[in-house]
Amino acid sequence: MTPARPPGRLALAATLAALCAAPAARAEAGPIPVALARRDGHVVAAVDLTAVLPGELPSRLGNGLRNVVALYVAVVPIGGEEPTAAFVRVFDVLFDVWEETWTVTVRDPRTPGGRRHVLRSVDALRALLARVDEADLGPAGSLPPSRFTVDVRIDVNPISPELLAATREYLAGAAGGRGASRSVLGAVAGFLLREPEEREQSLVFRSRPLSPDAVPPR
Amino acid sequence: MTTPPPTPGGAPPWARWLRRPPRWLRVSRFERNIAIALVIGTVVPLVGALWLAAGLAEQDLTLGLSPRVVSRLEAVPGVYGELFQARKQLYALQAREVARGLPSDRDGARRHLERAVSRTPGLRRAAVLQAGGALLASAEARGPGPEGGWRPAAAHVKLPGGAVLECTFAVEARLFAELDETRTLAEQSRELDRLRDAIQRSYVLSYGTLLAVLSLLAAAAGIWFARRTTRRVDALVAAVRKLAGGDLSVQVQLTARDRLAGDEISALAAAFNEMVREVRESRGRIVYLEKISGWQEIARRLAHEIKNPLTPIQLAFQELEARWKRSPGDASFGPLLAEAGEIVREEVGTLQRLVADFSAFAKLPEAAPEPADLGDFVEDFVRTNPQLAEQAEVEVVRTGPCPTAVDRVLMRRVLANLAANAVEASRPARARIHLGVARTRSRVLLTVSDEGPGIDAEMRERIFDPYFTTKTDGTGLGLAIVKKIVLQHGGDIEAGARPGGGATFCISLPLAEAAAPGAGEET
Repeated sequence: MTPARPPGRLALAATLAALCAAPAARAEAGPIPVALARRDGHVVAAVDLTAVLPGELPSRLGNGLRNVVALYVAVVPIGGEEPTAAFVRVFDVLFDVWEETWTVTVRDPRTPGGRRHVLRSVDALRALLARVDEADLGPAGSLPPSRFTVDVRIDVNPISPELLAATREYLAGAAGGRGASRSVLGAVAGFLLREPEEREQSLVFRSRPLSPDAVPPR
Repeated sequence: MTTPPPTPGGAPPWARWLRRPPRWLRVSRFERNIAIALVIGTVVPLVGALWLAAGLAEQDLTLGLSPRVVSRLEAVPGVYGELFQARKQLYALQAREVARGLPSDRDGARRHLERAVSRTPGLRRAAVLQAGGALLASAEARGPGPEGGWRPAAAHVKLPGGAVLECTFAVEARLFAELDETRTLAEQSRELDRLRDAIQRSYVLSYGTLLAVLSLLAAAAGIWFARRTTRRVDALVAAVRKLAGGDLSVQVQLTARDRLAGDEISALAAAFNEMVREVRESRGRIVYLEKISGWQEIARRLAHEIKNPLTPIQLAFQELEARWKRSPGDASFGPLLAEAGEIVREEVGTLQRLVADFSAFAKLPEAAPEPADLGDFVEDFVRTNPQLAEQAEVEVVRTGPCPTAVDRVLMRRVLANLAANAVEASRPARARIHLGVARTRSRVLLTVSDEGPGIDAEMRERIFDPYFTTKTDGTGLGLAIVKKIVLQHGGDIEAGARPGGGATFCISLPLAEAAAPGAGEET
């Protein structure tokens, strides 16, 4: 089984769909600072999670394994559950236990191929994870007419379609060719494998209620 | 040691017991088929469940989704990190050791570094860089590095005057390869562990689905196997219902495969078909005999009514004739009386023969068959009827013994009537009569054929009706008597055409019981 591959456009769309399908989550902390602006007909957001990001999260990512952090920024109307606009950024984090550095590849719609960062401290990693600038939430028309919040959800090592596909492939081949029965069972089990609904490692943060009028042009 | 005495059959008792086990141990084909269907329906899913369980156990072992294993695997990169830290500290210590006593002159420094490189394990290169970065002295290990390749790890020691001692150590590349492999394995295990519940659910679903599919296949196979038997039972039930509805033409269709199966159902179907055929024939026989009985009653009364006035007529005319002879008068009356007398005598004679035929038909006795070989009987008949040989050429063909039971007197009458018909039909030519005797599995057959004009197909059914005749002077009773006698013997008669021209009468009689197949067999 291969680790979760960096999401392309399709994967990002699938992730957005997963975000939309996710049940409403309770916010982890108080309102987070969010700045919205209009630029070229799009709404861009700047989010600062420095104050609310759990302190142990960056160090948890230094376990020497490849970790994926998916960060979703979504506009959710108050009283509604479906986001009307969203932005996805995926961090691929690997701590090199020899070099003692964090290699982070950041992918989002603007850089689907990813931007690579080599960080030498937890603080640098924390800063990279906590600051989201120029998050393109989509056309300005996608903002709800009434008040809304900007929700941020962080999934650590989310179950991606790629991971599911790789797991299915792994289950089908888990027999190792020592008997047809196991491969049949594994293949059927892989076919029937579905993404679990519960998301154990999700953090959700929410802004204070905002009005569409409060989004100034830049 | 004594040998048990041989049994009368020659085989030891246990062999005979195996060949013919007790009735309660014998399994019929029907029971075997049902048992096989049940076994298929139960054993196949069971075997499938075991097969799947074995696969499940294997996969469980292969996946190794133990939380402790996953946890330990996840900790392995950290262990490597600690190992690398220790190595770095070791290299730093060794570099400081190399720096100790390092001469400041170029040659002295080089010799010092060469000695250090040769005696320090893992040290591949040592160099002294002056404050400006220029190389003062260096030494490199001459031998090969660690087996399997290595990665350089540098350790620096600051020297007086701003110079720096740079020591390059060889770190085994296998450590990094092992780390990568372990990390990949740990990531796989972690991802599987995160999907543990989903995987477990999918395996349960997979197990249940495959088991359900296997069960359905087994049920289908069992139904298919059972239906091979029940289909014929259904056909039999449908045939019985038709029979109950009065349809005596119903037959259960037996395919070649059914006959090959040779089980109880096939035997039952064959017996049913035979039963229906016999019922159909018996009913026809009964209807015919009832009709004949009615005609016999009419004949008896008719004969009685005709016979009664005949005698007085005959006596009166005889008296008249006697008187005339005693006292002749009118000369012309004599010839007239003689002519009238001739006519009266002839017609009375005809009437008397008719009455005799009617009486014979009416008083036809019940048949009392006795065992006989039909071929012998036919040959006896031909031998003891010389007048038949005068009237026709008779040929007898027989094919082996044909045991049956006949009432010799009545059956001779049958042969006589049929032979007389053949003689009359062949006139004016001399008749050629072919008598054939043969047997089938359950019947003996007697054919009487001539080479006359034959019988029209539409008349073949009616010729056995009483008083039906195509002859000008016939009474139409001959063939009716023939058929009644044959039916009384439990047989049947059919009229047909002889190949090559002429008529054929085919009489079938039951084969004697002792000679019939299955007679005396255990049922």
